[in-house]
Amino acid sequence: MKAYLSAFRLRRRLELQYRGAVLGGIICQMFFGLILIAVYRALYAGKPQTMPLREITSYVWLQQAFFRMLLASDPELLDKIRTGSIAYDLCRPLNLYGFYYARIMAQKLMGSLLRAAPMLVFAFLLPEGWGLMLPASAAGLAWSLAALILGLLCVSALENITMGFTMRTLDSRGMQAMLNMLLMIFAGNILPLTLFPDSWQPVIRLLPYAQLLDAPIRLYTGQVPPEAARGVLQLQTGWILLLIGLGILFWRQNQKRIVIQGG
Amino acid sequence: MMSYIHVRNLEKQFTVRQKRAKGTMLREKKIVQALREVSFDVEQGELLGYIGPNGAGKSTTVKILSGILTPDGGEVTVGGRVPWKERKAHVRRIGVVFGQRTQLWWDVPIQDSYDLLRDVYRIGETDYRTRLKELAEALQLETLLRTPLRQLSLGQRMRAELCGSLLHRPELLFLDEPTIGLDAVSKLALRDFLQWENREQGTTILLTTHDMEDIVALCPRVMVLGHGRKLFDGALQDLLGRYDTLRTVEVRYEETGALPDLPSVVPVQREGETLHISYAPAEFATAELIARLQQAGTIRELTVQPQNIDRLVAAMYREMDL
Repeated sequence: MKAYLSAFRLRRRLELQYRGAVLGGIICQMFFGLILIAVYRALYAGKPQTMPLREITSYVWLQQAFFRMLLASDPELLDKIRTGSIAYDLCRPLNLYGFYYARIMAQKLMGSLLRAAPMLVFAFLLPEGWGLMLPASAAGLAWSLAALILGLLCVSALENITMGFTMRTLDSRGMQAMLNMLLMIFAGNILPLTLFPDSWQPVIRLLPYAQLLDAPIRLYTGQVPPEAARGVLQLQTGWILLLIGLGILFWRQNQKRIVIQGG
Repeated sequence: MMSYIHVRNLEKQFTVRQKRAKGTMLREKKIVQALREVSFDVEQGELLGYIGPNGAGKSTTVKILSGILTPDGGEVTVGGRVPWKERKAHVRRIGVVFGQRTQLWWDVPIQDSYDLLRDVYRIGETDYRTRLKELAEALQLETLLRTPLRQLSLGQRMRAELCGSLLHRPELLFLDEPTIGLDAVSKLALRDFLQWENREQGTTILLTTHDMEDIVALCPRVMVLGHGRKLFDGALQDLLGRYDTLRTVEVRYEETGALPDLPSVVPVQREGETLHISYAPAEFATAELIARLQQAGTIRELTVQPQNIDRLVAAMYREMDL
C-alpha cells in the first residue's frame, strides 16, 4: 500500500514543478468560463429557461475549476508505454493497475486543486448573474464534496482503462482523444447535462461520465436535493466498482500478452 | 542440486508485420525465431558476459529471465522460481538496468525516485539509508541526489539508474548495454563499480553489451548468441584464441630503406619509415620473424600490436555466419 501512496505523492509533487503552466491554465479556464457565461446570458436574455441563470453560471465555473480532473492525459505514462520504459515497472513487485491508478489520481487531484482554489475565489467575487452561487445548503455542500471524491475515483478508473488500450494499440492519441471527447460532452463540460433534450436525460444521467462532475455540481446547486443524495452516491459507487473491476481484468489480460519491443 | 539460473531449451517466437511492397496496403506476417533451444546454467556470484550481434536474442533472454516475457517453450528457473509464473516474488530479488530506457522520474530530484523505490521494495529506513550512502559513494552520486534527472549528463544518469536498480540489494542484476554512449572515464568508473558490487555483495551479474572492452575487463565467462542459438559458452580467452590468429608488428629501422627478407605468407606494407608486417604465429614462428627483422638492419623501434578485439569479434561473427 505504501508504494501506491508513494507513487501518488511523487506524481503530486511533479504537478507542482510547473507553476507557470498552472497559472496559464487558470487564466485560460477563467477566459473560457467568462465566454461561456456571456453566451448563456445572450441566450437567456428575455427567455426564462428551466435551469435558472445562477445555476448555469455556477455549473460553468465548477466545471472550469475542475477541468483538469476531466482532461485525460499523463504524457509521461503514455510515453513509458510507447517507448517501452514500462518494462521497468513490470520488473517491480507491484500490481501495475494499482500503481498507475495512484499516479493518475494524484495528477487529477493535484492538478484540479491547484487550479480550483484561485478560480473559485475569482468566481465568487463576480457579480450575481456572472459568478458562482453559494451552495444551496450545508448538507448539499457536504454531499457534493463526497460526490466529488467519488467522481475522482471514477474518472481515474476510466482513464486507466484507456491506458490499458494504449498498451494494445501503442498509440495514445486515438483512445485518449475519444475519452476526452466523451468526457467533454457527457460530463457536461461543453453544455450542462440539464440542457440536453429531456428524452436523453434518463440515459446520460446514468452514464459513468455524469458521475464525475455533473453529480457533485447538481448536489451543490441544489438541483438534486440532499434527500436524493444517497441514490447519486450509490450510482457513483456502482460505476467505480464496475470500472475498477474491468480495468483490473483488462490489465491482467494485457500483462499476459505483453511484448516489450526492441533491444 | 540445480544451478542458480537454470535454462533448458528456451524457445521464443515473434510475429513481425511487414509491408509487402511499396504502394500496397497489404501486410505480411513474418515469424521471427528469437530463441532456439538455448540452454545454460549460471551459479550464484558469477559475472557473465552475454554477447552477439544486434537481433541475436540477447534482450529477449534478459526479458524472459526478468519475468516480463513469457517464452514459447523450455524451462527456466532463477533461484528455484519460474520468473513469469511467480513474477512478484521473483522481481523482488532482481535488479535490472536497460541501458536505453529510464526508470527514474524525469522532472524530480533522483533522491525522490529512490524514495519511491524504497517503498516499492519495502526497504527498511535504516537499511535504505546505509545502502543509498554506500551506493552514492561508490557511484559518485552524493552531490547529485537533489538534482532532477533531466539535468544530469548521460554518464551521471547511467550511474543514477544503476544505483536505483541496486537499492534493494538484488541477488541478481541484469545489465542491458549499460555503457552505451558513455565516455571513457564514465565507462571505467562503471566497470570498477560493477566489479566491486560483484565481489563485495556477491551479486550475480549478467551483462549484455556490444562493447568488447566491457567483457574483457569484467567477464571471466562469455556466452555468444547468434540467430537465437547459443554458439559459445566458456572462458573469454578460449573464445579469442580461436580467432586470434593474426598479429601485426610495426618496425622502424635506423637505416632508411632497410627491408627484411620475408616469405610471401608474411605481407609487408611500408608507410613512410614504418613497416607494417602482419603474420600468423601458427604459420610463421615469432622467433624466426624477430631474427629476420634483426638481420635487415638496426631496429630503432618495434611494437607488436595485438589484434583489435572488435575485429576479432567481427571475424568470429563472420565465421559463425551471423
